[in-house]
Amino acid sequence: MAATVSRNIQLAQALPKRLQTFLARYPPQQLLPKGANPEQHKTPYQEETPNPFLPMRHPITGKWHDPKYSLRRQAELVKLARDHGVEELLPYTPKGTEVRLSKRVELGLRVKGTGVGETVKGHKHERQLVGKMEKRRKAMLEMPDLIREWKKTGKRNWTRFPK
Amino acid sequence: MAKKAKSRVIIVRLLSMAQTGFFYTFTRPRTSLPMQMLKYDPIIRRRVLFLEQKRKGGGK
Repeated sequence: MAATVSRNIQLAQALPKRLQTFLARYPPQQLLPKGANPEQHKTPYQEETPNPFLPMRHPITGKWHDPKYSLRRQAELVKLARDHGVEELLPYTPKGTEVRLSKRVELGLRVKGTGVGETVKGHKHERQLVGKMEKRRKAMLEMPDLIREWKKTGKRNWTRFPK
Repeated sequence: MAKKAKSRVIIVRLLSMAQTGFFYTFTRPRTSLPMQMLKYDPIIRRRVLFLEQKRKGGGK
């Protein structure tokens, strides 16, 4: 028994510092000895946020608080843990390998905006481009007439000036 | 207080009639006729009619 414990400690110390810190703050329930009540073995960190990877409602104010670890840091931790074979010790996270794979199965290589009934909004100048070109085209079609009229009227008598 | 004298020369903006929004800026004496000319519009790459834009606020 003692040999396995010391071996486990050795393995844990071989983990990168970042993972060690995380697991010290949020130790998984799997590591507790059998029969122990997980409610009684919580670190102060865990009492504050059971899962630091998920947004939490503040118990008193009822306001939503962001996850303690940003999605970027979550992904970094997951990658680190995966490389060292301890991913199952992390709490649930949307960046976990299983979640990512199931999402990939569900959505495939979907590109947002290309599905049925979806459109890409684009920039404002792109949305207005068609109307603008139409206006220009119309103005250019009328241009010879306008110039003829302007020449006939003469500079002195012309009154139609743009706003 | 006496009003400030209006300048004799004003700056005017000649707007392309091709609805491109392109314009030239010129100065002309305040008392002369509004400017109007055929000039090159680089956006549609053609010579089009340019007319002087009406100025804002009658006082200015």
